[in-house]
Amino acid sequence: MSDLEHVLPAIVFLPFVVAIFTLLVGRLIGRQAGWLMVLSSVTAFAGSLWLFIHQQVHDRVVPVFTFAWLPDLNIHLNLRADPFGLFFAMLIAGIGVLVGIYSLGYIPRLATGRIGRYYAALIGFMGSMLGIALADDLFLLFVFWEVTSITSFLLIGFWYEQDKARKGALTALQITALGGLAMMAGFVLVGEATGTYQISMLASQEVLRQQLADSPLFMPALLLVFVGAFTKSAQVPFHFWLPNAMVAPTPVSTYLHAATMVKAGVFLIGRMLPIFNQSACWSPILITVGLLTFFVGAYQAFRENDLKGMLARTTISTLGLVMMIYGLNAASQDALQIFNHAAYKGALFLVVGIVEHATHTRDIRNLGGLRKKMPTVFVLCLLSGLSMAGLPPFFGFIAKEALYAELLHNVFLHNRPFLQWFVIGTCVLANAFIFAVSFRLIFGVFLGPLSDKAQDVHPPCAFLWIPPAILAVVTVAVGISSAWPSTQNLMNMLSSEVHAEVHVSLFPSVDHLGPLILSCCTIGIGILIFKARGVVGQAQRQFDLLPAMQTVWDGFLNGVTWFAECFVHHWQNGSMRWYFSAILLFFVGLSILAISYFRLSFDLVPISLSQMPWSGLSLCVLLVITVVTVVVAQTRLGAAIALTATGFLVALIFVVYRSPDILLTQILIESVSTIFILLILFYMPSFKKDRLRPAQKMLNLGISCAVGVTMFIFVLFATSLPFRETENLAGEYLSRAFHGAGGQNAVNVIIVDFRAVDTMGEITVLVVVGLCIFGLLRTRRRMQL
Amino acid sequence: MNNSPILRTVVRVAVPITIIVSLRIFFQGHSQPGGGFIAGVLVAAAGAMYLLGFGIERAARWAWWKISVIGLLVSVFTGTVPLLLGRSFMDHAVWQRHLPVMGDIHLSSAILFDVGVYLIVFGTLMTIFVELGQEGR
Repeated sequence: MSDLEHVLPAIVFLPFVVAIFTLLVGRLIGRQAGWLMVLSSVTAFAGSLWLFIHQQVHDRVVPVFTFAWLPDLNIHLNLRADPFGLFFAMLIAGIGVLVGIYSLGYIPRLATGRIGRYYAALIGFMGSMLGIALADDLFLLFVFWEVTSITSFLLIGFWYEQDKARKGALTALQITALGGLAMMAGFVLVGEATGTYQISMLASQEVLRQQLADSPLFMPALLLVFVGAFTKSAQVPFHFWLPNAMVAPTPVSTYLHAATMVKAGVFLIGRMLPIFNQSACWSPILITVGLLTFFVGAYQAFRENDLKGMLARTTISTLGLVMMIYGLNAASQDALQIFNHAAYKGALFLVVGIVEHATHTRDIRNLGGLRKKMPTVFVLCLLSGLSMAGLPPFFGFIAKEALYAELLHNVFLHNRPFLQWFVIGTCVLANAFIFAVSFRLIFGVFLGPLSDKAQDVHPPCAFLWIPPAILAVVTVAVGISSAWPSTQNLMNMLSSEVHAEVHVSLFPSVDHLGPLILSCCTIGIGILIFKARGVVGQAQRQFDLLPAMQTVWDGFLNGVTWFAECFVHHWQNGSMRWYFSAILLFFVGLSILAISYFRLSFDLVPISLSQMPWSGLSLCVLLVITVVTVVVAQTRLGAAIALTATGFLVALIFVVYRSPDILLTQILIESVSTIFILLILFYMPSFKKDRLRPAQKMLNLGISCAVGVTMFIFVLFATSLPFRETENLAGEYLSRAFHGAGGQNAVNVIIVDFRAVDTMGEITVLVVVGLCIFGLLRTRRRMQL
Repeated sequence: MNNSPILRTVVRVAVPITIIVSLRIFFQGHSQPGGGFIAGVLVAAAGAMYLLGFGIERAARWAWWKISVIGLLVSVFTGTVPLLLGRSFMDHAVWQRHLPVMGDIHLSSAILFDVGVYLIVFGTLMTIFVELGQEGR
């Protein structure tokens, strides 16, 4: 087994290596970078397939790869290849191959660097999706999850010249990344409650699950994980980002928004099912959200005129369906539904991409009659569209039969007849809408009279039609082969439930009449809706379901901006005096807090005024005089001279207290800062007295006094006994300075050795300050020129 | 201000002396008052004198901030090397030898860290001098 487990990290991390390589050489090879995508996805597919076959042949042992990543935090780089994960990985890699080939024909001749970046993002995205599929650690899953959000942002915003593309990409990133963060919080709570982040352990060990279920963190964790899954899979009320993301190039939409990324949320729920399904909230929430999304998506899809918008909304709908299936604890058919959707929806997206490529429009009202111009594409669209409609003998029919069979026999629904019929009714209606949508797609684009836009179209090149053709063949092949039990066994093997037993068949037996009747109802209602599409469209314009979520989100974003602006205007008003007051008052507050925390008082201060030598006292008197002079000076020069005098008087205090090191520093600093002040003074406007209101003056005086008194007391207290508990701290430093660090100047040794990390921080700040001054003054001068 | 021959004459003599003093202060830092920070300030003061005497134009062509960045790199490097050798961050080594003429010599790798501090202080101060000095010109 030792060889086998190393295939896992190779599958997940090889794409990242290839992505970086693509980024580096992209400028040189341009469009040919697509072959790197094809190559890496073929490799990943082959690896996953090999693991799967090996697993089925050899006792179903699940290969596990473990690497201690952050062992102190109990976070490990665990990868695990269970059948469901491998199914997802094969789906990702397989569609990746097709999307790579399709991109070769689709992506126009742009700047080579840009195409290189596109493929790098696409390959990186594939790697992170494979990571999600195979991760066995919640944090590892989260990391890959966020990488998919970021790479999808880059991919959706491919046409970054367009305002719409930037906005769509940003909305997608905001929603999915926000959901990802919520999910991470949920994971942390799970980890806190159980002490482990390993998914397979959480799923398999009864003790841990019980521990989690008993924990008060259980409900928050569940809800947060739900938010993560719902945002990624575009469930109501987060569904609005997906239609907006349709500004992406079509291969990206196919890959991200039909076949893989949006399924990550569904996949997550599938992973969480064994961990959380004891909760009383699991079924109600998932069924409500899933059913609502299922219906709203199908309903809105029929209203849409944009081809990709139609497909996006039916995708939302199907994702809702899978959520509902998980809510019903019917995980045994998840692989079936996910695979079915990926096959027909992927093909339809690619077909729409071909149509858009040829006619430069996606509006169904401007299209029609393409049947004669591109017969191959028409056949592909027909096969996939009929599968989406759920007609036999296609895969879509099988999947729908399985759904209806589940709804009729589900344990959860069986005890609630009213709910059962409501769910079945809604599902039939939603499926009927999807039926109508697929017919509208086929009729609107390919049948009827030839539209103006479609006059001079040419048939697509092989790169464009081969990938959807493969998917269409899969759709037909699985549909027909489902008559044999081996196909059913394969589907059951791939599902997230270990002993899944879903029986579907193309030929209905007496036991399976129920689903067949429901299918017939669906088709009948679907035909009705399609026939009456004028009336239905009219009605839909009157009665719009959930149109406002985009508005709500925009309003929320505007609110955030408004708040930030208010905050900045109030706190950063450009007045130096205000800034200083805020900083100093914060310092005063902090000092008072420290004094009260350490219970310092004057009794603990070991020094007294009587111990001070007369020279020190007289220096202090002189200091006070110079400081007052600074404040009351009438000219800038006078103030500057008084300030310099203050500095040198402080230096003299170090003479009195015999600290040559600090004395030297103080004198040099004073000299240099005098030069600074003179430099600045030279260019400053003439001095003018502020005309402040008396109240303002009193406030300033109050702040100054508070700072002075606090500073004085704080420095005095610093000498007090609690701080000198290690009385020989100085002696300790002195003795260790020579023996430990080979220096006799303890101050310097402290700076460069004992507390070198502090110094490190300080000098970094110094460099940053220097760079900031450089940048600010240079920029200002350049703007003035 | 730039055309005073007296200032120039003084600067010509004072700047080399200041630099030598700064180096002396730098190297004695480990056992007597001194060190990278003060020495850096001192050499920056020499730079400021030069600017006052000979004008800012020639100095402004230099990217002084690069010196401070190099200094930061030197300091980080000294801190990281022990990390790579499996010891803790900023762990310094001391090299002691008895040389015939110069007597006992203590060379600590901490001095390299101090070189970084020296360069940073000098580079940052010179950046500020030069940039402020060019204001309003």
